Amino acid sequence: MSYVRRAAGGAIAALLAATALAGCGTSASSDDGAKGSGPWSFVSGNGKTVKLDQTPKRIIASGAEAAALISFGIKPVGIYASTTIKDDPNLKGLDLSGITILGETWGEIDVEKAAALKPDLIVADWWPAEKAYSGLESGVKASSKKLADLAPIVGVAQGDSIEALAQGYEKLAASLGADVDDPKIAADKKAFETAKAAFKKAVAAKPGLSVLAVSPSDDVLYVANPKYAPELLDFQRWGLDVINPDKPDKGFPYWENLSWENADKYQPDLLLIDDRAYASTLKQGEKQPTWNNIKAANAKAYAPWPAYWMHTYGEYAEQLTQLTAAITKADDTRA
Amino acid sequence: MTLLETPTPSREAAPRHRPGAGLAAGLVLLLGVLLVVCFFSITLGSRGVGVPTIWKAFTDFDPGSASETVIREMRVPRTLIGVLAGAALGLSGTILQGVTRNPLADPGIMGINAGAAAFIVFGIMILGVQGVIGYVWLAFAGAGTATVVVYGVASFGREGATPVKLALAGAAVTAVLSSLTSAIVMTNVDALNELRFWQVGSLAGRYMPVLWQTAPFILVGLVIAMLTGRALNGLALGEDLALALGQRLRLTRFVMFATVAVLCGAATAACGPIVFVGLVVPHLARFICGPDYRWILPYALVLTPIVLLVADIVGRVAVSPGELQVGVVLGVFGAPAFIALVRYRNLAEL
Repeated sequence: MSYVRRAAGGAIAALLAATALAGCGTSASSDDGAKGSGPWSFVSGNGKTVKLDQTPKRIIASGAEAAALISFGIKPVGIYASTTIKDDPNLKGLDLSGITILGETWGEIDVEKAAALKPDLIVADWWPAEKAYSGLESGVKASSKKLADLAPIVGVAQGDSIEALAQGYEKLAASLGADVDDPKIAADKKAFETAKAAFKKAVAAKPGLSVLAVSPSDDVLYVANPKYAPELLDFQRWGLDVINPDKPDKGFPYWENLSWENADKYQPDLLLIDDRAYASTLKQGEKQPTWNNIKAANAKAYAPWPAYWMHTYGEYAEQLTQLTAAITKADDTRA
Repeated sequence: MTLLETPTPSREAAPRHRPGAGLAAGLVLLLGVLLVVCFFSITLGSRGVGVPTIWKAFTDFDPGSASETVIREMRVPRTLIGVLAGAALGLSGTILQGVTRNPLADPGIMGINAGAAAFIVFGIMILGVQGVIGYVWLAFAGAGTATVVVYGVASFGREGATPVKLALAGAAVTAVLSSLTSAIVMTNVDALNELRFWQVGSLAGRYMPVLWQTAPFILVGLVIAMLTGRALNGLALGEDLALALGQRLRLTRFVMFATVAVLCGAATAACGPIVFVGLVVPHLARFICGPDYRWILPYALVLTPIVLLVADIVGRVAVSPGELQVGVVLGVFGAPAFIALVRYRNLAEL
């Protein structure tokens, strides 16, 4: 099909890009980074250690990673997002005054503007399945990839757990001089532990409940592969039966691509819908004749799936609470 | 005596050469082919569905069965839209070539695709229209408007809308509308995302609502188009002769262009700009039937859906489990087919 369509598909794919070889784990080792202005080092998600003479001050960050830094009181000088700021689940609602926006489309970063900010560090997630940092994956414009020449890049790996990802960014923030013992952060962690306990309890009460995470599009029903979605791996670890698709795409293993004729291949009790554009994504599915042949869709048992974007305990607590309510409401017909 | 045994050479009894009988038989044969192609269009796809299930989908439909839903709600509308859109494109191509006496005339030249696309983009941007149903009407209105404008511009001057003026006006209007569309699309991501549905013709993802919205227009257009054979024959003799034969040229042209706008607009709205069939199949029909439009029209009516559906099936099977859009398949096979036609036949005969 047309160039435009493939580009859009690529963007979705990349957006959807979540990753991490299970067991690869995060890589922020305990002793990275000394506070203050002295020599600074950090073990990045790809396993390499970045060393600098001075603690970096002028940081350019990818959208979600920027939001994580901001939650620790570290304000980047520039942000590149993969969608418009008002639609970005991480950035909407944040005070971004004084921060230069370097891009609002996946794969497009204004490197000239970025160079003018004279950054000394770039912060972006490391995606093990693609072996690339956010914003530098294959499919990104060559001119945008020059961002990598401006400053060293560090980031936490999108591993097998959002908890580990949140811890990794806390470590990075601490190394950059943030006060991670702030009461607000402690409160977020407590809220997360409470939400996690409630989630486990709700899941235990519905032993037969099966769940499928999907992202419907006009052409294809994308079924998420939990192996490369850290939050889905967390849910599985906490007892939820998130279905593993049996034929993930070989080139882009985040998904199994089902044609709409085969949309009924899996029959979950509850559908988790990619919530990066929840309403329009759900609508794409609902207009397909075979949508209602999925048991959960027929029962309108939907819940938002925080797909690949969470980085902090605060966000996770909020999303878990929402999901716990949906699980409590859902019928587990197999039980 | 021998005289008596010799058959009387009578004009009536002599076995006249009657091309009609052969052509009628050929048409029946093609209808059979079309039915076979429709059968395959319904039975082949990324989901394997057995014939008994297909039968049950029509006789005893169970909406809870995914296989039956696929047959009734996805493959049947896709096939019917393919048949209707194919017939509409074939007949409008035939009429356009006949009325403009331009062997290369097709909906693209008349600015019809450009008009449909421009209206869809305007609708998204200014009216905030969303959803297929809205686009169907926008594409239809755009196609109609473009045709009226092209015909209106070409009608200036003493001789009215001559073939050369029509082609020029069509090219000019296409250029204007395409640049406006590009200007908007370049600055608006939403419009771009919605428009991609229309950028390459496809029969996939078009379900019953699209069929219901477009079928009435196409059916009415097809009936009128089938009645234009005599008038097209007259026009083929040249304007002066057609006038001498008592044709009212302005009225004839107006009716034909209106029919083409309805057919092309509705077909474009249903499946996006599908190229080549409207251009090539009329030549193929003319190749089989000779110059009589009363035969060319029914042949185009049956041949175009066959070509369109076969291309669609090829697209489904060729890159399984994915799919190629029918517009892409037609582009790949249509170009060499057209070159072959041009080589074997003198197109200037029109």
